[in-house]
Amino acid sequence: MAKKDKEDDEFRPSGTIAVLTIFVITLIAIWATIYMILVRQGGTL
Amino acid sequence: MKQYQLSTGEKKFIGSHLLVAILALAVGSLFGPLQAFEHAGWDFYPYLKPFIKSYYQGLTVHGVLNALVWTTFFIMGFLTFNVIFGLKRPLKNPTLNKVGFWLMVVGVVSAAIPILANEATVLFTFYPPLKANWAFYLGLTLVVVGSWVEGWGLFMTYAAWRKENANERTPFIAFGSLVTALLWQICTLGVAVEILTMLLPWSLGLIEGVDPQLARTYFWFTGHPLVYFWLLPAYISWYAMLPKQAGNGKMFSDTLARLAFWIFLVLSTPLGLHHQYVDPGVSPVWKFIHSMLTFGVFFPSMMTAFTVVASLEHAGRKQGGRGALAWIGKLNWSDPSVAAQLLAGILFFFGGIGGLANASYNVNLVLHNTAFIPGHFHLTVATGVTLSFIGISYWLLPYLTGKKLWKPKWAVAQAWIWFVGMIIFSNSMHVLGLLGAPRRVPLGLAPYVPAEWNSRLFQVGVGGAILFVSGLLYLTVMLMTALNKETVKEEVEVPVAEAMQDPALSPVWLDRWAPWIYGALALVVIVYGPQLFDLIKNMALTSPGFRVW
Repeated sequence: MAKKDKEDDEFRPSGTIAVLTIFVITLIAIWATIYMILVRQGGTL
Repeated sequence: MKQYQLSTGEKKFIGSHLLVAILALAVGSLFGPLQAFEHAGWDFYPYLKPFIKSYYQGLTVHGVLNALVWTTFFIMGFLTFNVIFGLKRPLKNPTLNKVGFWLMVVGVVSAAIPILANEATVLFTFYPPLKANWAFYLGLTLVVVGSWVEGWGLFMTYAAWRKENANERTPFIAFGSLVTALLWQICTLGVAVEILTMLLPWSLGLIEGVDPQLARTYFWFTGHPLVYFWLLPAYISWYAMLPKQAGNGKMFSDTLARLAFWIFLVLSTPLGLHHQYVDPGVSPVWKFIHSMLTFGVFFPSMMTAFTVVASLEHAGRKQGGRGALAWIGKLNWSDPSVAAQLLAGILFFFGGIGGLANASYNVNLVLHNTAFIPGHFHLTVATGVTLSFIGISYWLLPYLTGKKLWKPKWAVAQAWIWFVGMIIFSNSMHVLGLLGAPRRVPLGLAPYVPAEWNSRLFQVGVGGAILFVSGLLYLTVMLMTALNKETVKEEVEVPVAEAMQDPALSPVWLDRWAPWIYGALALVVIVYGPQLFDLIKNMALTSPGFRVW
């Protein structure tokens, strides 16, 4: 059985939120960049 | 507490999988850089005649050995290890698993002979009407059937364990492995039907022609969940092993991890039509539904990202890490297994972003047949998956052989070289795709290449060269470890992270199989049934075979 430490109870993954926030911003930026590049090219290659 | 001991026979059996996998990677990876060099204008294929006759033969060897053989053998070995070690019991029927393994080996040999004889230059997607020698299709069938048989052996082992442990939660590494094996059993029905009802009889001359549209639909029934068959074993390691290795961290949420695996099982098969957005014979309604389900997979993917990063953060903070991001530097980067998997995870983040772009209907219509796609899957299968498997092998081989890992610092360097090479290679391929460069084309020979592609094509070659160095380094470390006279003093510890919360407190419905299996099958029938019914009803086995090589 897993031992539950006090520090586990107090652990708040704030760094994880930071990492995932960066990920989501990057995702939106890259997706939008791809979309704009393709639109600029007239939607076709 | 002393860890569960695998028998010497079990270690040899798992090691046999690793051996075939690494041999396949070694041969397949020789041809990867050749494709990249060709793009850069350094065409070595003329020098390989008469052994390898064309760019496309080399591409077939690369795709089949790396994407299908390396992955399938490594995965079946790793799943077998996880089930035995996780359940702390031997296989229920080891002979059955051995039969499965040898069927796979015979299948690989059967498929390899026509590929090497230039009788099956049909790439790893083997789309008809390209027509290969029958032995190629038979070989693929045997690989799939062998993996099924091995899967049955794992299910029987689980059933025996469950009988003895009626009220226990399935240990996570065994649970994840069994879900992966189950996913494989469901999704490979597509290629099984494709080969057995069309391609094999066609290649034997029993039927005159094939229906390429129906064949593609069968293929992608398997083709996309194949990605999850590759990924889930890496996820098992990221969830339940990497946190321990990275700094004695714990798995942040056993419940979230199990739920994510079940959602992957349910959602990963009924979305294959997003690979067929440009196919004229598929209804736009079903394309739309499959695209929505594809975005649905984003949720378990984000659950995985959250839980894995949180578990790593727990490890980093245990090692004294502070701040929002500084804990990342405190992870155990000097361990090659950790470095390889962390770097794999970082590039996989970008692979996920590219995947969402591919899944977007309007974007996909433009990008589908461009270099963007191989750029994308080299971040996912060739890095997220392959570099993770490489990382796992850095502890698994010493565990199985009792030999010390040869030059761990070289192994760390190998992971970083792969990381750098793949950034250069993949980024160039993505940009080339956006500029309109087609995929599956020897661009070095193409007369229509505009000047703006040239610098990127050169970078593809440079990235390929760096990846080649990394691949060689990996094979050297593996070979020298296997031959190493220096043995480990104590048995290598299998890195299994505890969960923060006792798994026994996870909801019991997350350890019940029937509802999830029925749910997965029902969704497949609902979402694939009408399209397949329509295609089968209107099936036209009229297309003759082509040999264009």
